[in-house]
Amino acid sequence: MLIALLQAVASGLAVGGAYALIALGFSITFTTTKTLNFSHGDFVSVGSFIGVTVLWLVLGKPINAPLVGVTLSIWQQLLAAVVTVVVVGLIGVMLYFLAVKPFSGKPGMSWVMSTIGFGIILTSIGLAIWGPSQIVVPSPVGDDVIRIAGVGIRPQEILMFVVAIVVMAALDWVMQRTIMGKAMRAVAHDQRVASLMGINVTAVMVGAFFLSSALAGLSGFLIAPIASASLYVGLSIALKGFSGAIIGGLSNPRGCVLGGFALGLLESLVNLWQAQWREIVVFLLVILVLAVRPHGLLGLRTVEKV
Amino acid sequence: MRFLHPVIVVAISIGAAALAAVIGNDYYLRIAFMMCVYYLCAAGMNVLVGYAGQKSLGQAGLFAAGAYGAALLSTSFDLNAWVALVAAAAIAGLCGVLIAWPSLRVRGPYLAMVTLAFGIVVEKLVSEWTEVFGGAQGIYGIKPLELAGVPFANLQWVWFGIALGAITHLLLRNLLSGRFGRAFLSLQADEIAAESVGVSVYRYKILAFVIAAVTCGIAGAMVAQQNQYLNSDFISFQLSIFILLLVLFGGSGSLYGPLIGAISLTLIDALLARWPAVQHFAYGGLLLFALYAMPNGVAGLFSRFFTKRSVIEPVPATQKQPTTAPIQRNEDRSRPLLDVTSVSKNFGGVRPANDVTFRLQHGHVHALIGPNGAGKSTMINMISGVLTPSSGRIAFLGSEIGGLESHGICRRGIGRTFQNLRLFAGLSVLENVLLGQHCRMKNGFWVSLLALPQARREEAAANARATAILDTLGLRELAQAPAGSLPYGLQRRVELARALATEPQLLLLDEPAAGLNPQETAELGKLIVAISKLGVTILMVEHHMDLVMSISDHVIVLDYGIKIAEGAPSVVQCDKRVIEAYLGAEAA
Repeated sequence: MLIALLQAVASGLAVGGAYALIALGFSITFTTTKTLNFSHGDFVSVGSFIGVTVLWLVLGKPINAPLVGVTLSIWQQLLAAVVTVVVVGLIGVMLYFLAVKPFSGKPGMSWVMSTIGFGIILTSIGLAIWGPSQIVVPSPVGDDVIRIAGVGIRPQEILMFVVAIVVMAALDWVMQRTIMGKAMRAVAHDQRVASLMGINVTAVMVGAFFLSSALAGLSGFLIAPIASASLYVGLSIALKGFSGAIIGGLSNPRGCVLGGFALGLLESLVNLWQAQWREIVVFLLVILVLAVRPHGLLGLRTVEKV
Repeated sequence: MRFLHPVIVVAISIGAAALAAVIGNDYYLRIAFMMCVYYLCAAGMNVLVGYAGQKSLGQAGLFAAGAYGAALLSTSFDLNAWVALVAAAAIAGLCGVLIAWPSLRVRGPYLAMVTLAFGIVVEKLVSEWTEVFGGAQGIYGIKPLELAGVPFANLQWVWFGIALGAITHLLLRNLLSGRFGRAFLSLQADEIAAESVGVSVYRYKILAFVIAAVTCGIAGAMVAQQNQYLNSDFISFQLSIFILLLVLFGGSGSLYGPLIGAISLTLIDALLARWPAVQHFAYGGLLLFALYAMPNGVAGLFSRFFTKRSVIEPVPATQKQPTTAPIQRNEDRSRPLLDVTSVSKNFGGVRPANDVTFRLQHGHVHALIGPNGAGKSTMINMISGVLTPSSGRIAFLGSEIGGLESHGICRRGIGRTFQNLRLFAGLSVLENVLLGQHCRMKNGFWVSLLALPQARREEAAANARATAILDTLGLRELAQAPAGSLPYGLQRRVELARALATEPQLLLLDEPAAGLNPQETAELGKLIVAISKLGVTILMVEHHMDLVMSISDHVIVLDYGIKIAEGAPSVVQCDKRVIEAYLGAEAA
């Protein structure tokens, strides 16, 4: 029983890392532009496939060739990771100019629809290139299960967790300590004032979308060896990342990260009890949290001055 | 003239029904049926999205509530199909309340998340709880609607759909063209201002959710009954998006938008059904670019060609004296109108009100002055219900109002304007003032929905009163101009007109002269005096000392949340503490 519980906690923390990365991505665009990418999930799944495609290219294999049993050097994996992050980040920049910029700051939240539309197009293109099937992806750190005190952990799960923590710590440092991070927080606080202080607001927003999408790409790349690459899993992963962000409070990046991990743990624990109720419980919880704390558990309450 | 529109609708419906009878092809009839179904979804959704301004991404959940409601009632409980249809609408309506409840507290992306999560929960529930909902296997043998024991054929389903669509259109048109439509629009524009004119934000949000839920539920039930089969594949996130797209593509906030959206998107859907990849791509493109090219949908595109831009008239130079008494009640004038007793307010460590006590007398002009940060606006906000006092009593005409909601306080007879204008910018000047009349109109939901004589009488009376007020303030010529398009000084006057339209006994003015030039300020002063002569008591926060000193009967001075002086203007002017507060201790 205890072993099963620890097992659930371990895998919950790993998948929670992916949720936390996604949650952080939501928080970054929300704080800077007051918009969210509703097609974030498609970015995650496209990220997985771009990573795999790089592997196919460096191995000289055709697209959709099976990758099971192939040995890859660490450099090949690293290249795939970097390319994924950059390419998905650039798609994010494209999203900003096509779907967000025309609508941001205007009433009516049209960006909800336009980003969903962008995602649908992205998935359509993805389906045309990679087809609808799932691809099993080898892990860069091997697929042999490690046993710690009877709990089996896959190396990829440890990698996922560690990378998530490192990336988020680095981002936190950037946001708090560097001039770039301060510029982003200034834009988040008040666009007009920030631009009066000589901050290039558009550049910051483009940067925010690049960063947020790159994080989605990274989590897609990291989760592919755990959950296998598929164009259909993105929506559910991103929704949970979104839920994590909402529970933690969109306006608070650290809260979002905690929310992401909490959601991964919760999901994993509910899974222990009843696998098919997993999502229902998770989303009911989100509704409940918001009904009680409309700005998330750790979010700032904004008081409108009258 | 009043019956022209219904007659045209009935004629078009009969024409469409006849056309369907001529076509007779099952494939085309199926498309026509889906048009009707989607129209129903879109018509209700339009109230929620286009009027009340609430985005819902979980409409598939309400569709499911109706569809599974009808399916289970007729299979498990062996209920008559007609009864099942009505019951399904009721079940969906209840689910609408359920989803509206958390939505009352959350806004923007959080609201999108709540509705989205609701949709996902329902989707998972019907696909995973196979014992009840049959999952992907589905439910067979759902009873179709029948007449005299004969089940509906495809043609009858289309006729039924057209009839239901026409009825829905007429009813919603009744509702939205009057008091309820304006109230929904006010929610979208500014919730705090809506409350201040007596619109209960809670009630109207729930109502909008329920209307969208009921029409969506009926649509779901019709699909289940027509197919006589239902499985979990019907309910998906894509359906939620599609229902929202119907409204946004057709034109949200327009009565005909949903119709255009339903017809055109169902057609596109059917034409592209053979190529799912293209269909997918087309939806993506529509979502991405349609709103960019047509912010108000196809309907907005049309109306741009048909309506001429209204030209804003120059400011009328002279003002007439107010002629209409806003309200005359026989109240006991011996008691004070408003009694504020040791009211305090804490924001964390900040205390913008600290044990403040004062009284307002009937018919007087009271001024509330003090340096910046003295807590003047906080006091106005507490009296009008925007803020709740931390302690103390606020009694209006002898009854406690501290902590009541704004709309209730407005109804009792306290009107207000805001420091930073809060007009319903997209609505016309007349509509703004009519919204002021909202809480004085007595036509309820059913009366308005069915356009009973009472609704017309109330609407006509409100129109007459609003026009009289506009006349008084010299805004008559601007009645049809969008309020947000007016110059600043006129917007201030429109806000005053809106507050007067609530027929207040006490009018709270939060810096009415801010941003006005000297001449406008002088005009405002005359206007305030004239309004008070009609028996309206006035409490104004103001920084223009010459205005305050020339028109007020009684001045209350706050500094750091503490009342430091009160009395006649001449007395207050000489008060040592007041001079200290304004100029500093040394200067005194």
